[in-house]
Amino acid sequence: MSQKVTRRQFMNYSLMGVGSFMAAGMILPMGRFALDPLFQESSAGDMITTSVSVDDITEEPVSVDFTFEQQDGWYVSEVTDFAWVYRDGDQIVALSPVCKHLGCTVSWASDAANPDRFFCPCHNGLYEKNGANVPGTPPRGPLDMFEVGESDGFLTIGAVKENELV
Amino acid sequence: MLYNNRDLRVLKEEIEFVDTAIVPVMNIDFDGNMLHHANNLELIQHVTVQLEKQLKGRLLITPALTAVGGNTDSLITYKDQLFEYGFKKVISLSFDAAESEGVNNIKINSIPISDMDNNMKISIINDEVKSVIKQIINVWNQ
Repeated sequence: MSQKVTRRQFMNYSLMGVGSFMAAGMILPMGRFALDPLFQESSAGDMITTSVSVDDITEEPVSVDFTFEQQDGWYVSEVTDFAWVYRDGDQIVALSPVCKHLGCTVSWASDAANPDRFFCPCHNGLYEKNGANVPGTPPRGPLDMFEVGESDGFLTIGAVKENELV
Repeated sequence: MLYNNRDLRVLKEEIEFVDTAIVPVMNIDFDGNMLHHANNLELIQHVTVQLEKQLKGRLLITPALTAVGGNTDSLITYKDQLFEYGFKKVISLSFDAAESEGVNNIKINSIPISDMDNNMKISIINDEVKSVIKQIINVWNQ
């Protein structure tokens, strides 16, 4: 070392170094705290992942459960609902099991006289496989649908929307 | 339908379709069987919530009628009121097979659910609900 570092210079350099580490230690977390919200993905409109894999879906409607948190006032509970899911050509269809008449739960092929329709046990309502209400039965409109998606091979269910098949 | 403001308003208009009233009957005596009664109360509440979800458009689930000292006169009076309002069938849900005139009774099995783990509890309750739904459909088909 040809240059001679004086004690004063040495002290200055080391104080600046330590000081900058301390400043960084204080500023960086604050910076992260301020910038993080920009990187959060919005949770509204999330698809709920089910435990059924997309490859298992056939042309025959099956009931697929999905669980989500529901808030009633200040009480949050975990609710499990289900959808009737089947494959139509190359798209997956998920129908809501809520009867459009007065809200009973609709089931597939549970009426012996109508083996390829949805049946509501409350007032004998009938729906075709695509959700269309059969005329002459109490329901006044078709069954609602769910948004469907896929995540890692598993089926995901999203928001309720009006029937698009009818 | 449940006994709340919103559903009762719908009930008024749709009384022809919502033609069945389900009345849960509970024993709440402060006797040696208290813990048993408390367990039953929880069980019947779970069962009626699931029942209402399945058959919402045809059932009205009334608040539980409580029997103290074995006195079931309130059920008779209530039944008269319900028939007068326009219900065609009144079904009582209880843990004993007490028959009342004009009221179909469905007996629920008393199962000790208070100490069960959650998955088992849900499975047991669902089995009870299925059995109750079958009996209700029998009553409708009479």
